Amino acid sequence: MKGENASSAGETGTIDLGGVNSSSSAVDLTDQIHQLPSCIKYSGPSPVSHYFRPKSTGIEVDGLNVKEAHFRGRKLQGTTVPLPDGYSGFVLGKKTFAKRKASDTNGGMTTSWRTNAKFQNITLWNHDNLPSKEDAFLRAFHWFDVAKALHKPVMADDMESASNPGATATD
Amino acid sequence: MGSECEIREWASTPCVMGIDEAGRGPVLGPMVYGCLYCPVSYMKTLSTLEFADSKTLKEEKREELFESLKGDEKIGWAVDVIDPRELSAKMLRKNKINLNEISHQSAMGLVKTVLDLGYLLTEVYVDTVGDPDKYRIKLTERFPSIKFVVAKKADSLYPVVSGASIVAKVTRDRALQNWEFDETAENMHRNFGSGYPGDPNTKSWLEDHKHSVFGFPSLVRFSWGTCEPYFKGGVQVLWEADEADDDDRKTAKRQSKLSNLGFTGMKRKSEDIESSGKGRCKFFQSRKLEQLSHF
Repeated sequence: MKGENASSAGETGTIDLGGVNSSSSAVDLTDQIHQLPSCIKYSGPSPVSHYFRPKSTGIEVDGLNVKEAHFRGRKLQGTTVPLPDGYSGFVLGKKTFAKRKASDTNGGMTTSWRTNAKFQNITLWNHDNLPSKEDAFLRAFHWFDVAKALHKPVMADDMESASNPGATATD
Repeated sequence: MGSECEIREWASTPCVMGIDEAGRGPVLGPMVYGCLYCPVSYMKTLSTLEFADSKTLKEEKREELFESLKGDEKIGWAVDVIDPRELSAKMLRKNKINLNEISHQSAMGLVKTVLDLGYLLTEVYVDTVGDPDKYRIKLTERFPSIKFVVAKKADSLYPVVSGASIVAKVTRDRALQNWEFDETAENMHRNFGSGYPGDPNTKSWLEDHKHSVFGFPSLVRFSWGTCEPYFKGGVQVLWEADEADDDDRKTAKRQSKLSNLGFTGMKRKSEDIESSGKGRCKFFQSRKLEQLSHF
């Protein structure tokens, strides 16, 4: 799958998601993606599995299994959540190169993104607080349903039920 | 952990207890609270057992005394081992708990443990580094039936506290010797030294085990000021919890001092991490969603 993206600033770029079913070289990082409640001013490789050692606590909140880990002396409590059906997480790497054709007028630069890794779940960590369904990240998943409702083509029977409120139960 | 295997027949006679700590100052390893208790009538004998402030004794002598007090049927003991991860976590929480509070909770926990075992504690001698009067009042409020004697250097004044200091110190030393690293980084070694910040072995251990992203293995108490110099040039990590310090002048000052060294974090404007959300629909704001036109 290839996506073309033209932003309002006039910048163009491509994102190569490697094809959902193709045998791409993307590494599977499922179970290894962590979202920490801090800003780490570093970008690059690090021996995460040697230092960051999540453990199961046996506690369950909102049906979420609570894990515990420590980072820089802080106690973190987190939970691993699967990404919704039909969605995947991607780790993208940037490739920037100058355009060769003189006819390109938008600064001469284009950006392309390549999939370096994919993942199907993410572990969300809170500092001090237990994870909960009310955490912003989990609530962000609400958007998937809203987006679907907003962008789904309207069918004849949708019109029917909309003009007859109460005829069909919706939630 | 302690001598709770079976209740001694003297449990219901008036008992005296001493409480002391080991490993409060060190930058690494657990802090241990230890207590020793015995019948009030046994106190005279206790003073002949050569218990002295554990710091003045050689390691072998401490081990020997610990073994002999364990074998003494008129003596009971218990310890509370506070993991360095717990110390760091509590002191770096959003609502920070200071070391004195952690210490007081631990000491009170020991009193409660021994009372719950069924021992009739009437007098408890406690060593402290903080204000003895305030601490005594706090203890008395919690346990009104017990007479508390709180003193600085109680470990060299009262044999029952000297005994407690031996229990605590031996337990701390063993816990450090037997420490199992959670981390699996290469080239880790166990030449910790005493753990005191001034100890050359401790200094070189810290130097050998620092990591620019992760800081240190979790044996280290990250909340100790000693850690900061090791992080000059380390990766800066910002935490929301450090923002709250703005309200508290004293802490804020300390935090900004630490942040100059690029370690503990620093006060920062929230814009550094996320946008203000101005003009965004509430649905997106509350879910921290933002439309990106380019990235």
